[in-house]
Amino acid sequence: MNEQEYKQMIKRCLRCSICKWIPQLQIKSQKYATICPSVDIFNFHAYSGGGRIIIALALEMGRLEPSQELTDIVYKCTECGGCAVSCKFLNTLEPLEIIIKLREKLVSLGYGPMPKQQQYIESIKNKNNPYYEPHEKRLEWLPNDIKIDPDAKTLYFVGCTSAYRRKEIAIATTRVLNAADYPFKILSENEFCCGSPILRTGDKNTFINQLNKNIEIIEKEEIETVVFSCAGCYDTFKVDYPLERDYKFKILHTTELFNELLDRGQLILTKEVPLTVTYHDPCHLGRDSEPYEEWDGEVLQMMPLVSINMPEKPKRCGKYGIYESPRDLLNRIPGLNFIEMERIKEYSYCCGAGGGVKSAFPEFALETAKARIEEAEDTGAEIIASACPFCSTNLNDAIVDRGSSLRMFDISELILMALTTPNKSVKESFKEVK
Amino acid sequence: MVLEKEIFKEFEYVVGVGNIDDGDVITNIYAYNWCMEIINYMDGKDPIPFSPIPKAVVLPSSTEELQKIIKLCNKFGIVFKAQSTGLGPWNQPSVENSIIIDLRRMNKIVKIDEKNLYAVIEPYVSGSQLQVEIMKYGLNCHMPGAGPQVSPLASATSMNGPGFTSPSTGHSARNVLAVEWILPDGEIMKLGAYGQKNDPDFFYGDGPGPSLRGIMRGWAGTKSGLGVFTKVAVKLFPYPCNTEYKVKGYSPNYDFEIPDFMKLYVVDCGNFKKLEKVMHEVEEHEISFMCSFLSGFAVMAIFSNSIESLMDKIPIGQMKAPLVVIIAARTKREFEYKKEVMYFLLQKFKLKNIVGKIYTPKPIFYAEALRSNLGLHGFIATGGFQSSKGVADTAAVCLRSTKSNIALKQEFIKKEAIANDFGEGTWMTSYESGHYFHMESPTMFDQTEESSVKGMAEYMEKSNQLDLLKHLGAPFFVEGTRIHEMFGPHMSNYHTWLKKIKQAFDPNNISDSGFYISPDD
Repeated sequence: MNEQEYKQMIKRCLRCSICKWIPQLQIKSQKYATICPSVDIFNFHAYSGGGRIIIALALEMGRLEPSQELTDIVYKCTECGGCAVSCKFLNTLEPLEIIIKLREKLVSLGYGPMPKQQQYIESIKNKNNPYYEPHEKRLEWLPNDIKIDPDAKTLYFVGCTSAYRRKEIAIATTRVLNAADYPFKILSENEFCCGSPILRTGDKNTFINQLNKNIEIIEKEEIETVVFSCAGCYDTFKVDYPLERDYKFKILHTTELFNELLDRGQLILTKEVPLTVTYHDPCHLGRDSEPYEEWDGEVLQMMPLVSINMPEKPKRCGKYGIYESPRDLLNRIPGLNFIEMERIKEYSYCCGAGGGVKSAFPEFALETAKARIEEAEDTGAEIIASACPFCSTNLNDAIVDRGSSLRMFDISELILMALTTPNKSVKESFKEVK
Repeated sequence: MVLEKEIFKEFEYVVGVGNIDDGDVITNIYAYNWCMEIINYMDGKDPIPFSPIPKAVVLPSSTEELQKIIKLCNKFGIVFKAQSTGLGPWNQPSVENSIIIDLRRMNKIVKIDEKNLYAVIEPYVSGSQLQVEIMKYGLNCHMPGAGPQVSPLASATSMNGPGFTSPSTGHSARNVLAVEWILPDGEIMKLGAYGQKNDPDFFYGDGPGPSLRGIMRGWAGTKSGLGVFTKVAVKLFPYPCNTEYKVKGYSPNYDFEIPDFMKLYVVDCGNFKKLEKVMHEVEEHEISFMCSFLSGFAVMAIFSNSIESLMDKIPIGQMKAPLVVIIAARTKREFEYKKEVMYFLLQKFKLKNIVGKIYTPKPIFYAEALRSNLGLHGFIATGGFQSSKGVADTAAVCLRSTKSNIALKQEFIKKEAIANDFGEGTWMTSYESGHYFHMESPTMFDQTEESSVKGMAEYMEKSNQLDLLKHLGAPFFVEGTRIHEMFGPHMSNYHTWLKKIKQAFDPNNISDSGFYISPDD
């Protein structure tokens, strides 16, 4: 969205509140009708997608000056993009893109990111991860028996969260790849943060530095395919990097790759995993991972006040997110009973961690995750599965805080349980990934 | 202008920390609304989409809290404006010395009485939320034309309340049963069965003594000008078909499994005279779930989800007097009967259904019709629209009003102030088996263009004048002192009675009268 589009679009909010709900035609119950964690928690209209569009307009009109109060409201948003999906069912506004641009403007005016976010950005600059962890410990998750092929053309990009906080996901992913005899390598000491946590705060310049560093290393290694178990890294590489710089390698999420390996018979799931599982769509793997489509058409004025795009401009409503791969995997696991929550796919409810919220506003993140856990509990499932270590962290925190009987697994962990792994029973595998 | 610290503290004590905000950002954001630019221009102000900024916004969670807030407003002489889902300029404060009461936290479905066919709801239950819960009992509710995201309570108590499904779900004014109402001075009024000393319930709206429902809302509601409504019982109706509601695929190109026993008719009646006869007969036979006269352009819009797809449907737009009818049934026998009646009427009036021949809508149209999502299609063409006038009366009067408006509208189309819908843009539907009808004239403008906003405002003023000159029945959009004083002398001086009511109920003029009537002469 360029500056001109931004200035035009912020004048167009109808204040209809559609952005607060999942798409109207998908509402199935009163309890799970909402889409926006921010307005669900903070209630005032300013905390909705539409409210933030009005903030942008009021700033542009000079009715509001940048302030700490304003910054706080703009940053109390997980940038999940749910508002945009609901709005764009009939409208052509881009609430999420407006919020992103608003943050960039606040950064340029010296008001963003939030202090905690500035701290983790410093950590990324100095230690290559947002967790203030020593870079040299990045490989501590790696068991000795994992086979890594230094000549492989596929790279497993582990990501900071799996490397430091949810090591079980990195372990399960690499074990599954080994079980499939699928050659891969890792960047070891040359793997750096993907930049997603920076980008979401509006600090675009720092993000671009990070992006350049990553693309250069990966291209230098002559990698053909990069595989991610982290939805955030995946989305950033797939959707955000190409907006700034082209690259030649292919992008895959592990849920996509695992399905391919199963299709090719390289993976065979034989062990029963008798669990009732529901699945949480990470925003970064779901609606937000839909790439921007280039549109090179013309705007034709059909009559005064009425213009059309020729050809029709594609609406980015989350249709091309990754929804079926994780579900296919769960359905392929023997004995596993998969059940859906009410809010799924492009109108899935956010876990609450994204957009820099987990660090800047941990209580907001936790409350949102607790709401999602409640929705998972209501399905009757015993397991909530996902495909993102960051969602996993936040949802796990909510499970603990709520005292929920649910357990959280990454899909890779469930796949590992279902694999015929020599000398390892399901229970042993389970123990390891725990 | 923020609240004085002491006053803020008193409000905060009632609603709790975090549920009141008087910061610049929150209050400015609540000053914005759709079409506010038109209202401002009509009032001689800059055509910007911002109203006066409230001093604070409060979020009560219960009747008790709200009553205390209103008493504080009276104590400190602060005007209050209440809003539920908040769409439209009538949610905006009209004076600087005001607070907004956002009823968002009052969001419970209090009761669903499936045997006696009513539900009791709080202000922030949306139409969709109510509908999905009562569908579990095979029931449906009336949803306002503004869409399923808005509040049925607001529509039932405070707004006009037509809807696309009006032939089968009525009109908000006629659907409201018992009510819990906080008057402008803070007293709680319980209407109908809810006021009973023993076993209060909600199943009727009037009791012995004069009916207060007329004062509460009358035809078009008081838009928070006469207190706040905290609970309302609304009538429920049988869901028109089976309640399986299966939306598949991804937004915005959803697919839908059209329920058994549902059929759409789009016919061109050719002229208004014939249209009137056909509508009457369809309604007299009580067969329609939805029966709307929509101008050709509006028919194009309800079948489209983007301006580009709307432009594909130009041939539909050529129809002179289109009628859109949906019949739906729960059993094959009922469906066959309704189809037979429609067949008979089409034969009788020599009409052809274009559905399946000239045009076949996507299945999602049926999902939107069932959820009352069609009104939102009015925004597709220019991003902004508003109904410029309205009439509630007989079909003949509604159509006369439609016709009389065409030349005026074309004048403003020529000026390029409003978009070209051939001057015919109309939505008209019927109520209670054709006993009365309403029409309004949706008009598309561009809220980002000052010339369009000004033109739209001038057109709306002239449209009102036209209603007065031609005596076109009970007006539909009459709000605010200036307009009431314009219409009143032409209609039994009703405005003087409204002023007396306002004075009696709101002696301190604390309930914002901006979209109702000022008590002063």
